[in-house]
Amino acid sequence: MIKLYIEEGVSSRNLLKKVLKENDIDEKIIYNEYGKPYLKNNKIYFNISHKDNYTVLVTSKKEIGVDIEKITFRKRVLNKIANDEEKKLVKNAEDFTKLWVKKESYVKYLGMGLSYGLKNVDTLKLKKYKIKKYQDYYIAIYGDEVKEV
Amino acid sequence: MNEKVKSLISRTLEIPESKINDKTNLVKDLELESLDLVDLVAAFEDEFKVEILDKDIKNLQTVEDIVNYIESRND
Repeated sequence: MIKLYIEEGVSSRNLLKKVLKENDIDEKIIYNEYGKPYLKNNKIYFNISHKDNYTVLVTSKKEIGVDIEKITFRKRVLNKIANDEEKKLVKNAEDFTKLWVKKESYVKYLGMGLSYGLKNVDTLKLKKYKIKKYQDYYIAIYGDEVKEV
Repeated sequence: MNEKVKSLISRTLEIPESKINDKTNLVKDLELESLDLVDLVAAFEDEFKVEILDKDIKNLQTVEDIVNYIESRND
């Protein structure tokens, strides 16, 4: 089961501590070569994202990635990360933000972050994601436990 | 080159240039997030006519790193 935590004014570190305590987990955190954190025994998978005063954390029994971003539009970034089909579909700031969080959640799921190359992610082919609007923000979750869209 | 890089960071992300020196860490000191980093990479590519490889982004932590990288790619 995937659980999403959204907290205001709580650091990533403290939110993780709280969630691990809730799940009765006392395991060492280790990092892969790209800096993605894992629990040493992979009892649960988790991923964290932070924007402004909000911290979001997801837990899952399988590999997972999450991203939160405030609704925004950056043309230079769109040109850098989107393929031609994706560009056609982005008509406004909401579309851009959804595209961004989808790509980010996927590369965070892979555990490679920006090193994977956001342009290499074709969002039209992604299946295992969920998008949620939260106030002026979009949150995307990508993971093996997410039902295919 | 260092001044050009600082000026571009300042203009792209609307950060006062006085806050940026050669050793300033983009993530730790300026608190840049992924969206800012990608914006900056695109701005560097446009300005300096270089391609910044995705796999190298995580190594570009300071102004000095960026200057060295751009110079090495222009060799």
